[in-house]
Amino acid sequence: MKFRVPTILCLTLTLAAFSLAAEKTAPLPKDLPPYGPLVPFHAPQAQVKKLANGLTLWLVPRPGFPKVALVIAVRGGLASDPAARPGLSTLIMDTIDQGTRTRTAKQIAEELQAAGGDLSGTPAADDLVMATDVLASKTDAALTVLADIVQNASFPASEVALAKRNAADTLRANESSPSFLANRALAKAIFGSNPYSVISPTQASIAATTPEELRREFARRFRPDHALLVAVGDFDADAFTATIKKLLGNWKAPSFAAETLAPKPAAENPHGIYLVSRPGSVQTTLRLGALGPLRSSPDYAPVEVANAIYGGMFGSRLILNIREDKGYTYSPGSSVQTYRKAGTLVTRADVRNPVTAASLNEIDYELNRMATTSPSDDEMTHAGRYLVGIQGFVFQSQESVARQLAAVWAAGLPPEELELEGERIQKVTAEDVAQVGRKYFSASRQTIVAVGEEKVIREELAPFGLTIHAVSH
Amino acid sequence: MKRLARAVLVLVAAGLFVARAPGQDWKVQAEKRKLKNGLVVVVSEEHSAPTFGLCIAYGSGFRLEPEGRTGFAHLFEHMMFEGTPEAPKGVFDRVIEGGGGWNNGDTRYDFTEYIETAPISALDPVLWLEADRMKALDFSPANLDNQRKVVEEEVRVNVLNQPYGSFYWLDLPQKAFTKYPNAHNFYGDFKDLDSANIQDVETFFHHYYVPNNAVLAVVGDVKADEVFGKAEKYFGDVPEGSVPPRPDVSEPPQDAEHRFTEDDKLAKVPALAVGYRMPPRTSHDAVVGALVGELLHNGQASALYQALVKDKKVAINVEGGDNWPLGNPFEYNGPTLMTSFIIYPPNVSEKDLLSAYDAVIGELASQGPSEQDLERIRTKMRSDWYGQLEIPVERASILSHATLFDGDPSHVNEIPNELNRVTPAEVREFRAKYLVPSNRTIIDRVPVKSPPGGEGGSEK
Repeated sequence: MKFRVPTILCLTLTLAAFSLAAEKTAPLPKDLPPYGPLVPFHAPQAQVKKLANGLTLWLVPRPGFPKVALVIAVRGGLASDPAARPGLSTLIMDTIDQGTRTRTAKQIAEELQAAGGDLSGTPAADDLVMATDVLASKTDAALTVLADIVQNASFPASEVALAKRNAADTLRANESSPSFLANRALAKAIFGSNPYSVISPTQASIAATTPEELRREFARRFRPDHALLVAVGDFDADAFTATIKKLLGNWKAPSFAAETLAPKPAAENPHGIYLVSRPGSVQTTLRLGALGPLRSSPDYAPVEVANAIYGGMFGSRLILNIREDKGYTYSPGSSVQTYRKAGTLVTRADVRNPVTAASLNEIDYELNRMATTSPSDDEMTHAGRYLVGIQGFVFQSQESVARQLAAVWAAGLPPEELELEGERIQKVTAEDVAQVGRKYFSASRQTIVAVGEEKVIREELAPFGLTIHAVSH
Repeated sequence: MKRLARAVLVLVAAGLFVARAPGQDWKVQAEKRKLKNGLVVVVSEEHSAPTFGLCIAYGSGFRLEPEGRTGFAHLFEHMMFEGTPEAPKGVFDRVIEGGGGWNNGDTRYDFTEYIETAPISALDPVLWLEADRMKALDFSPANLDNQRKVVEEEVRVNVLNQPYGSFYWLDLPQKAFTKYPNAHNFYGDFKDLDSANIQDVETFFHHYYVPNNAVLAVVGDVKADEVFGKAEKYFGDVPEGSVPPRPDVSEPPQDAEHRFTEDDKLAKVPALAVGYRMPPRTSHDAVVGALVGELLHNGQASALYQALVKDKKVAINVEGGDNWPLGNPFEYNGPTLMTSFIIYPPNVSEKDLLSAYDAVIGELASQGPSEQDLERIRTKMRSDWYGQLEIPVERASILSHATLFDGDPSHVNEIPNELNRVTPAEVREFRAKYLVPSNRTIIDRVPVKSPPGGEGGSEK
């Protein structure tokens, strides 16, 4: 009950730990044995194939562990929803597995369970992702179900009606969560009218959604020539490719051209405070965000290193400061987030009400320190080795490899990116970090969201002299 | 994974390909040794990547924290990261992260575990650091004050500032059980956290953080004999301790249903938690309980999801299981609950929800699961269980718990087989014996109506 990371994909930050600020680093214990020789590890290599209908396959056979992770991703996520139906992608993924021409929702759930899996369907900004991991001996059975869904999902009216009611109540429930309110307000404030501003549906869009709309959007996005199948695990690549051809080779690409699914790059984000009133809060939920580099940008690897030094690992400056020194917060941190046409740097801290201002002051200080000074050699070594080592950890699990590959595809990059990213990180210099620090980290670039007691937040944050916008719901 | 290793793997796999029955006979290898000071060391070789995962589990959790010191086992867990006389605050994380790894810790009913994973090049320093903090801590009042604040923020962010406030695992055991070890606030009342002093930290450390109350498990690209040698080298001189006798934590039988209603100032949608007392972990009934917990709660195919969410439409979501969410059904050593946590629509009454719930439980007796239902859930549980053993640090965690409680790491390989032997008749008997109203506690968590105009966060 400390900082247990529910899935290793959340690894961006939240592990547990403690350290000293760089300037007061204690010497290492005299008896501590040194690290052994570094054993290089390589990213899993995907076999890339394309079916005649345009479906892209990234296959990673890994004999031994008797399971297989499967991911199907299609282009066009939350940022591609019709303007009048914000968040529609959430409802697509809620209902996509609720029936096909030949299977009921219950049959789908039971067939996947009989293969040892569950279906997780998540709408991302730029793509829709379906994933499961099953016993290797039941892979064909699981893929049969997935193949039926992507070709024949039928969106039965009764299932859509139930999903709409549950989505409306789920939204109500989410709106009692401070982190949900903060993330929604931050995306809206950073991206403004850009479609990346939407992370969830509204009550109005849920109420207005019809089965016909879901079928139309499904037909628009689920097309083999804009889709990826990733499989990682214990299978024979040739035999499995034959199975894939049998199950998905007849999936027809529509005759109409695919629309441009990625939005335009966002304009500069505003510098100000966005206040979400949440009566009864005993903490202020602070989120700071600013635009960052694209994943394909040369700035990306240096920003990853800079983020690790700033707030992305436990020995980072932010955590040492506001957790280990001041005790303002339990789980502060920062992360680099990427979209196909945008990138952001996000800082988070949930702090008790009376230290709201003091916390923001320290966050600003650490951001500006990144923007105005160079990291130490120790910090560079620590961050570089940490990031590369964590990559090795992510490669241990079939499911995380499959999801990492899907994320690379979503960013429009080839599977070799996983290997190249590690190499690029090792080449980042202190000057690179100082340069991206100056470019992306200064406190004056930040869009600030504060969720909590309105009176507390107004009083605490007034001295910062920024405009406080009340977020209207 | 280096190029040479990959070539070797492919050859090995080609050799195995003909003979194996995929997915039915996979086992983890584990070897065990005991050092003279009582520390049990478990090693599982896993050569698929040049990394390791490590877990050291101490036999001390929520149940052993002193009265007047609720939340102390967890506060103590935080103090394990605050430095030692040899390695001052900060060294631990600097060495592990700088070695390419990460670490964590967590506290449960009957164990507190510390985990690390890193490239294999960091194994020696990590073992040294774990041994070092088993020998002594930097019993610093200033660091205790700092971590007290951090833990209180942890309670705010996870409980006091959240809808539902984790009531399904924090409040439910307090209502379901009667003895202090099982029935107190595991996160800690603030007055108790505030009262904890450095003497408490020292006492707890000397009682429970001794080698003869711990299991060290290492999983990864290692040779078992080498790890046993390293364990002897780094941990061999840690003195054996004298662990206080374990209190009797067994509960008198429950004789009537307990029902409660709680107000929730932050939630907007009501929720219900149901907790049934479970049999002792070592009984065959516990295996049946593990399976029934999943039959009822595992995913969209589960009996409760299908009935409450889909057929009767009286719930928005259902989660739960045996020993949920405090671990899997095989890692506790005293009373625990099978818990259902249900979020339900505001226009549905608790009565209607509960009658739909009881109908599902009733069907376990009147119809029971079909052989097909059982086969499906066994397959899912086998798949989930393998999933827990895939990643070295998670496997180390599971192996250390199995060894701590039963002395036998290889028991993890038996669990899917034990589940396979559960029969429909046993499920019906389990239902009649345990899933009855007089063996359960129910909390209905109801949103308090907000004052007009004070509503936050409802999007229009």
